[in-house]
Amino acid sequence: MQRRFVRSIVTLALGFLPVVAQNSPSTKIPRAPDGKPDLSGIWQAIGVSLFGETGEVRPGEGRASTYGPREPAPYQAWAVSKVNELAADNRTDPNVHCKMAGVPRITGIPVPFEIVQTPKKTIILYESNHAFRIIPTDGKGHPPDLDPTYMGDSVGHWDGDTFVVDVTGFNDKTWLPGPGHFHSDQLHVTEKFKRNPDDTISYEATMDDPQVLAKPWTYRLILRHPPRDERIMEADCSENNQDLEHIVKDK
Amino acid sequence: MRTTFLVLAVAFLLQLTPLLAHHSFAAEYDGQKPIHLEGVVTRIDWENPHVYVYIDVKDDAGKVVNWALEGHPPNTLRRTGWIKGALKVGDAISVTGWRSKDDTNRIAGREVTLPDGKKLFLGPPAE
Repeated sequence: MQRRFVRSIVTLALGFLPVVAQNSPSTKIPRAPDGKPDLSGIWQAIGVSLFGETGEVRPGEGRASTYGPREPAPYQAWAVSKVNELAADNRTDPNVHCKMAGVPRITGIPVPFEIVQTPKKTIILYESNHAFRIIPTDGKGHPPDLDPTYMGDSVGHWDGDTFVVDVTGFNDKTWLPGPGHFHSDQLHVTEKFKRNPDDTISYEATMDDPQVLAKPWTYRLILRHPPRDERIMEADCSENNQDLEHIVKDK
Repeated sequence: MRTTFLVLAVAFLLQLTPLLAHHSFAAEYDGQKPIHLEGVVTRIDWENPHVYVYIDVKDDAGKVVNWALEGHPPNTLRRTGWIKGALKVGDAISVTGWRSKDDTNRIAGREVTLPDGKKLFLGPPAE
């Protein structure tokens, strides 16, 4: 009788174990078949709510699309005047010219993007300017002798539950996040994507550019699912770009 | 040095509130110049990077003036409740928004009242 009682207790306890494990914070996030956190889905940082409010992703959630410390971009002394000069003339913004926004600025453009995660590569499809990134995770590094590009060349790996992407091979035609935030072709970006139990991603991009920045600069965003079930849609920025002729230099 | 820091700090804050996805509100429109227009739709450019709706508006002297209303991109409008056919040439609408800085007859459209009284956001708020 006592043995049966003990067996029942043990069985009951074992039955609880998976439940306890499922409810622990580390396992509450969706996972891919290979056990990695599953980043797949439609995401957006600063966005447009059902009420058309830019900056508010969901009604009531306000504009909290960032987390952690916020620091001004640490430009080298010589570069500060150029930043101010560019920032004072909105016509200099590459985005206004329908250029791809580059990394990491594109992550904060207020339109959604889709992450497609497979075991050997992760693909990001941006609605912004039809940009895309194919991020190999097979252990191979960047190709040698990269030609400079707007979106750079990305390779990824997992550091525990954090997806880390190394991006290099940029041209100098995009901006970092922020008005006038130019960079050189020596820009190197390290991105971290961390899936949270509350169905968000903490996104962190550290930019290093020895030509223009005094030290690396980190930019952080909270990525959320947009307010409705979304599909990434076509958006050809150049089809009717009237803004250039009407944008004024700041007065 | 302090000024430099302040400029960069403000610039950093601004980066957190991009508006029209393609350009900042302040680059083209004056948030201190709100405007309300009533008119008849003459043309609809349901295109990227921003939708434009043109309306004929009678001024105080009875003269008809054509105004351009700039709004969100088509995809954003679709996600905020618009469908392309919601607005037709010939519709009488009213719209709120803000005037352009270049003093042309353009506004950043905010809220449109359709002929059936339904209100929809055309573009973002001023910052």
